[in-house]
Amino acid sequence: MGNIVFIVWRESVEAMLVIGILYAWLSSREQARVGLHFLWGGVVAGLGLAGLLALVMLKVQNELAGEAMEYFQIGMMLLASALITQMVLWMRRHGRTLKRELESGMARAHERANWWGMALLAAIAVGREGAETVIFLYGMGMAEGGGSFYGGAALGFAAALFSFWLLSRGSSFFSWRAFFRFSEVVLLLLASALLVDGVDRMIGMGWLPPLLDPVWDSSALLDDSTRLGGLLAALTGYRAQPALLVLLVYLAYWAAVFFLLRRSSRRPPKSMPVAETG
Amino acid sequence: MRHPFSAILLLLAGLLAGLPAHAGLPAFQLSIENGRFSPEVIEVPARTRFKIVITNKGPGPEEFESRKLRKETVLAPGVSRSVVFAPLKPGSYRFFGEFHPDTAQGRIVAK
Repeated sequence: MGNIVFIVWRESVEAMLVIGILYAWLSSREQARVGLHFLWGGVVAGLGLAGLLALVMLKVQNELAGEAMEYFQIGMMLLASALITQMVLWMRRHGRTLKRELESGMARAHERANWWGMALLAAIAVGREGAETVIFLYGMGMAEGGGSFYGGAALGFAAALFSFWLLSRGSSFFSWRAFFRFSEVVLLLLASALLVDGVDRMIGMGWLPPLLDPVWDSSALLDDSTRLGGLLAALTGYRAQPALLVLLVYLAYWAAVFFLLRRSSRRPPKSMPVAETG
Repeated sequence: MRHPFSAILLLLAGLLAGLPAHAGLPAFQLSIENGRFSPEVIEVPARTRFKIVITNKGPGPEEFESRKLRKETVLAPGVSRSVVFAPLKPGSYRFFGEFHPDTAQGRIVAK
């Protein structure tokens, strides 16, 4: 039972983090309300994507399908990582000026592209982990079908919803500034974890060389195959036995993020080049 | 990219085009039943691409996972899927079933 609660919570929490933070950000801004339609539209599309992916995982079993799934999952991880990073930079840039920009109509086309990016991010966040949850629930339902199973699943989902609620209320508990700083860190860590996962998988496919593997082994300290280690790996990109390439990509990611964050908080938003979405 | 959904379309097109065939790879069987892998140790040749056909005989779902091997795949009961592995250095690589971490443990030994 505890296992079911944990698995359902863990599978949903990533999507809840992303959507919770975006929701809090959008609903606190009068002028950004239009973004909510895109956010919820993305969530609905994500539920459809989850169902579709789960169906593919269940029904299509030939050899190529396994590999195609891998391609698709790697693509989704990298795309989600890029979209989250872009979203954080966008929120930072428009923290104070969104209203003025929308009123001036200058950035309307750009905003539109960004709303689509937001919808896509919500769809991927929900679809990626949602598919696994669907498979899990489907399989467990077939195996046990007892009340304790559905109770556990419901409890896990409730825990995830509670995490979402905490996040979306976070801005009322804390100062907006503190909440936003915290959200930025959470989202960027998540994006870096997705990037690490994607690079790791590409090494696993033999597309990228690991260079030196592993650079260190901290399994004795914190094994990334345990429950806590696994959660840390999923949310921060922690690896007990990282390959040198993964380490380099991780460091390069953070260097790039720090550079971009500094740049976007220093320059006035109007002189910013239009960010690409996707 | 101006329209982000074109990114998805590109991705799908990439999927359909040029999927390499792996028919000639050395293949190994791995099944999972009642939260246990069988066999629990798989010997594979080192420095060679190979594939493992994982079959979930149920009754519940299972997720084959190994951070060291950089693989993760969810299998509903009754589903089998083949997973291709990049050449491994000689050594022992742990994998586990994420939904039964206490009992579903195994190793791939590359020689």
